[in-house]
Amino acid sequence: MATSKTPNAAAPSAAEAVAPAVLRRAHFLMHLSRAWDSRFEAMARVGRIGRWYSAVGNECTTIGTALALGAGDALSTVHRDLGAVLTTYLDATRLAPTLFDAADATAWDALRPDPSALLDRLASQVFGRREGFTRGVDRSFHYGLLRPEWGIRHVGMISHLGSMIPVASGLALAAVQDHTDRVALGFIGEGATSQGDFHEALNFAGVMKLPLILVVENNQYAFSTPLSEQYACARLSDRAAGYGIAGETVDGLDFEAVHVAMRAAVARARAGDGATLLECMLPRMRGHAEGDGSYELIPPAEREGYLAMDPLPRFEARLAALGLADAARCAKVQETAKAIIEDAVERAIVGADPSLDEALRPVFAPGEVAEAFARMSTEVFDG
Amino acid sequence: MAETTYLDAIRRALGEEMERDAGVFLMGQDIAAFGGAFRASKGLYEKFGRLRVINTPLMESGAIGAALGAALAGHRPVLEMQFADFVSCGFNQIVNNVAKTYYRWEAPVPMVIRLPFGGGAGAGPFHSQSPEAWFAHTPGLCVVAPSTPRDALGMLKSAIRDPNPVIFLEHRFLYRREKEELPEGDVLTPLGKARVVRSGTDVTVLSWSWTLHESLAAADELAKDGVSVEVIDLRTLSPLDEETIFASVRKTSKVLVVHEATLTAGFGAELAARVGEQCVEWLDGPVRRVAYADRPSPYNKKLEQRLLPGRERITRALRALARY
Repeated sequence: MATSKTPNAAAPSAAEAVAPAVLRRAHFLMHLSRAWDSRFEAMARVGRIGRWYSAVGNECTTIGTALALGAGDALSTVHRDLGAVLTTYLDATRLAPTLFDAADATAWDALRPDPSALLDRLASQVFGRREGFTRGVDRSFHYGLLRPEWGIRHVGMISHLGSMIPVASGLALAAVQDHTDRVALGFIGEGATSQGDFHEALNFAGVMKLPLILVVENNQYAFSTPLSEQYACARLSDRAAGYGIAGETVDGLDFEAVHVAMRAAVARARAGDGATLLECMLPRMRGHAEGDGSYELIPPAEREGYLAMDPLPRFEARLAALGLADAARCAKVQETAKAIIEDAVERAIVGADPSLDEALRPVFAPGEVAEAFARMSTEVFDG
Repeated sequence: MAETTYLDAIRRALGEEMERDAGVFLMGQDIAAFGGAFRASKGLYEKFGRLRVINTPLMESGAIGAALGAALAGHRPVLEMQFADFVSCGFNQIVNNVAKTYYRWEAPVPMVIRLPFGGGAGAGPFHSQSPEAWFAHTPGLCVVAPSTPRDALGMLKSAIRDPNPVIFLEHRFLYRREKEELPEGDVLTPLGKARVVRSGTDVTVLSWSWTLHESLAAADELAKDGVSVEVIDLRTLSPLDEETIFASVRKTSKVLVVHEATLTAGFGAELAARVGEQCVEWLDGPVRRVAYADRPSPYNKKLEQRLLPGRERITRALRALARY
């Protein structure tokens, strides 16, 4: 019979210390994510892009969890998980060589492609450009990137948020069927935990002992709906017991706490001990989408409290305490990240739009079904 | 040689494809040791084990979403919905996630969703529906409905090998009633190809699955009146084999569409529209439809029979059409 394991969320012990190389990489990735958000928030404010869903405040959670993955592990993201996407895609040491030593490069980095080119594609994707992952057919993080030779197996979202949780469970199922120790990391906001797919997927993961880690980014509001109108349990991680899986709630602003909890969850998953529901508590530092009015609904004092919880200064204070980054290093990391993002965004802004033919590209992968579709008089839609 | 039933043909297809490709696996409710509500997978659990014949909890959306994840990981899931009616619980995963993935970011989704469907058993409103039009309306799904054991075998094997999601409609009334001798070896039926089952010159019937057999019986009746009916088994509804349909219409100039699904906005409407758009100068009469009445399926068998589009109603419609 499955037993629920609920490790407490105490501060990392000495034995659980996070390696300096991981902390240095996290520092750069956090600034990269923040610089990206700052740039797109600014563009959303002046109407240069239609919508932006900011990940400001989520960086310790997205990067702290994704840094516990290895090459070939699967990643399923929704719309505030830029940090996890950057962490998974990029050889940070090659993207910012002035910030890292050769020893900071990992075995996974050796598999990863040119990080600058991937960042350009990501920026083009957000702008709906030809060089984006969907070539203009779908928006922002609504795509996947399956390149096992790069160690990258990423499945993006559809707008029906809870729908991706079963997909993440299927990625975990495939790892079991292949007799590997790969795991799947899925992200979801607390809003989607009210949907049926959350229940079906976690129940299935419990029954099948799937190597799935579902991270709930609990940022207090689903669009405009506060937690009090979303669920009546004390902690969402308490639901894990009902599925016979491990559950834990951590401070999503504490990089080390997140990373240590995720490492433990990954170790359980790799060992065949099943899934984990990892709830990361986050402040609501931005509205649902920029400029949609949802942030203004939150009482000002509550908002100011959230904004004061910015995880970046806290993380940098911790790095300073550990002797890993002084003020000069922090400024250099921030400036380097900002310049990299600025370059990628500028290139995407002037990038070409997709060919109009993309709108009528095939709905079927090549084969006899695709051939039969091509023979149809489907184009009578023009009358 | 022994005859193979439609149901045995499904089981043979599953077994052969699982044997051929280690990535093929089955998911569904009660499909493992029990073999499924209709026993379509009977014996496969013992042969292929728990990671390839997966009993799921009672869920549809969660199973279809998990199958999508496994398909994106390079596997080939074959899902069984216990009854086609229950696929509505997984509708969102099919129409938004599964169907749109290839168009959006060009990841192939090799997946088959088997739907035991249809009426005639007095099974009531929730075990009798014919849901093909729900899915034929969604770009990115291949929708098939074989009517014979041979096509059940050949089309299921083709569907499992195809890199696209296939909605595979199996008529539960045909499972044990239809049987024929099947060849040994690798029997494949191409997807996207209709079949002229009976050649004729006066009227074309377009049908599939159970109503295909009723249409053939009606064609026998019309032959006694000296009316020559051509009967086409569409087999694949989407993508549609217009070439075979239009060639027949140009020959007979009259078209009757027969399907078991309810009439309004049924797939027959699409067929009538396409024939009207592409063949109007060849038509000598209206494109007519015989379908289920626009009602849920009643439980009492006599009530159900009143609404089912059986051979008598098809015969009457053919006679009326022949008079034009």
